[in-house]
Amino acid sequence: MIQAASHDAPSSHDHAPPPATFTVRVLRQDAPDQPSYWEKHTIVRENDMNVISVLQRMAAQAETADGNPVTPVAWDCNCLEEVCGACTMLINGRTRQACSALVDKLLVDNPEGIELRPMSKFPVLRDLMVSRARLFRALQKAKAWIPVDGYYDLGSGPKQSPADQEVAYPLSECMSCGCCLEACPQYTKIELTKRDGETDAEFKARETSAYDGAFIGAHAISQVMLFNTHPTGKMNAGERLDALTAEGGIQVCGNAQNCVAVCPKHIPLTTSIARAGRATTLHSLKKFFDL
Amino acid sequence: MEAQSGSFFARNEFLIRRLHSLTGLVPVGAFMCVHLITNSSTLGGAEMFQKNVDLIHSLGPALPAVEWAFIFLPLIFHAVVGVWIIRSGESNYFTYNYVSNFRWWMQRVTAWIALFFILYHVFHMHGWFHTEWWLKNVANENTGGHLFKPEHATSSAAIALASPFKKLLYVVGVTACVFHLANGLWTLGITWGIWTSPAAQRRANYLCAAFGVGLLAVGLGSIVGVSKTNVAEAEAFENAQLETKAAAAKRAAELLKKESAKAVTPTATATKK
Ligand code: HEM
Ligand code: SF4
Ligand code: SF4
Ligand code: FES
Repeated sequence: MIQAASHDAPSSHDHAPPPATFTVRVLRQDAPDQPSYWEKHTIVRENDMNVISVLQRMAAQAETADGNPVTPVAWDCNCLEEVCGACTMLINGRTRQACSALVDKLLVDNPEGIELRPMSKFPVLRDLMVSRARLFRALQKAKAWIPVDGYYDLGSGPKQSPADQEVAYPLSECMSCGCCLEACPQYTKIELTKRDGETDAEFKARETSAYDGAFIGAHAISQVMLFNTHPTGKMNAGERLDALTAEGGIQVCGNAQNCVAVCPKHIPLTTSIARAGRATTLHSLKKFFDL
Repeated sequence: MEAQSGSFFARNEFLIRRLHSLTGLVPVGAFMCVHLITNSSTLGGAEMFQKNVDLIHSLGPALPAVEWAFIFLPLIFHAVVGVWIIRSGESNYFTYNYVSNFRWWMQRVTAWIALFFILYHVFHMHGWFHTEWWLKNVANENTGGHLFKPEHATSSAAIALASPFKKLLYVVGVTACVFHLANGLWTLGITWGIWTSPAAQRRANYLCAAFGVGLLAVGLGSIVGVSKTNVAEAEAFENAQLETKAAAAKRAAELLKKESAKAVTPTATATKK
């Protein structure tokens, strides 16, 4: 890869030897409506550590740098190879995956240690775990799938041209990690708390409607372009464009282009945004003039 | 949050944002280009600038309607929606210090500067409203408003901008407006899907930058042109032109009187018959 990737590859130029131990500062929070607090841990450096293995050591030690016993820090992860997006958090202030954040590389950039925080645009469930429900709700709102379920075999669909495949493949790599949303200046946090006497269903409905009224996000815009490029998906293109012109749709984007800069999958999000900008405008004109 | 979702604004957010983008280009952006080009003709001297101003003011009584319909109202719409847009986002430039993120932020900073500068500038030169009461009590020499006099275009502009502080203010204001338009032009191309691929966006970026540098030269040229004005000479020219015009008007009125007198006589004789 020629790209100066923000992750991987320990620095090739030789610096001072890595420290024997290093400090990890974690922003913890016991439960959604609790205050957050900083905690310091000292970790013995080993070869080839990533932030997930750091969190595992912290759990095994179960004590802070001052020797106070503490519960393990909660975090999410699945694939451990940067394809599921579950381990996304703020590492030294920036949004990225913990599994692909290599400790030696982090210590070269910042010898003082490592700082871990939960993503700032999503409600914290506990410690480094957040609820990305709004991200998934956006995919639902945008109908980011191809409806082929039915009672009989529909046969094979139309062929996709190689040119369209070239466009679609990179977009299909999205792992719903939320980095693009975390870095977006137009995507602001929504966190509701359950009211007294409100049922779970009522709360969920209120939350969904709040999510639907706010910015849908770059990931969903790009998924609309993915499914609207697909020969079968195209058949529902209008519905997806409707979602992008509803409240909180593509119009909220202010072209800061942070999304494309932070996307770990290098998805051409701003190209999708521009294409969707054109498609939504044409779609609205068509609807207005009933073409 | 959910109380809003049924509001007029929420339901028409897409349309409003598209109109905001469009008004930034036409008429507001287009007007700004014409305005700065006209003003830079002060570099060509009092006669040239006066001729351009006279051309605009030849619209006469229609001018206020044109001003309001094509300049003030679209600008007010763009500004009001713009302030709402600014409040809807939160800069994170210090965490993600990318160039385009800086420009996103500057688009908002220059929007605020443009807002206050334009409010001041229109009061300073134009006075905001041209009703008798307003000009007598609010926008006058004492308050520093309505200082531009179309029939004394060059000299009155030079007097209004005499202080170095005002000149500095205008340099900052014009620079901010030009950046806002040039950068806005680039984002507009993405908003409407004119340049989509990274390569196309990069090329468009060069064009918008060249446009911005050009327009900035024209805008700052206007301020230089006004600053270089010799007020006494400009006034002398303007007075001479006004006298020639007045004399011509007088002659025309006399001719008209004679003509109508001639036209009346045959009818008078006809009634006698
Ligand atoms: C000199 C007068 C002005 C001109 C020529 C102008 C022009 C433009 C243009 C061409 C755009 C690009 C639209 C797009 O990205 O689609 C824009 C965007 C913007 N303008 Fe203005 N504008 C002016 C004054 C103002 C004022 C006074 C405000 C508010 C205080 C304002 C707020 C904004 C904002 C917030 C944006 C960004 C919109 C977005 O990112 O979607 N503008 N302007
Ligand atoms: S578009 Fe990129 S940054 Fe956004 S959710 Fe998908 S993979 Fe993550
Ligand atoms: S380009 Fe749009 S979606 Fe991407 S970070 Fe900027 S404002 Fe957000
Ligand atoms: S664990 Fe799947 S991306 Fe990190």
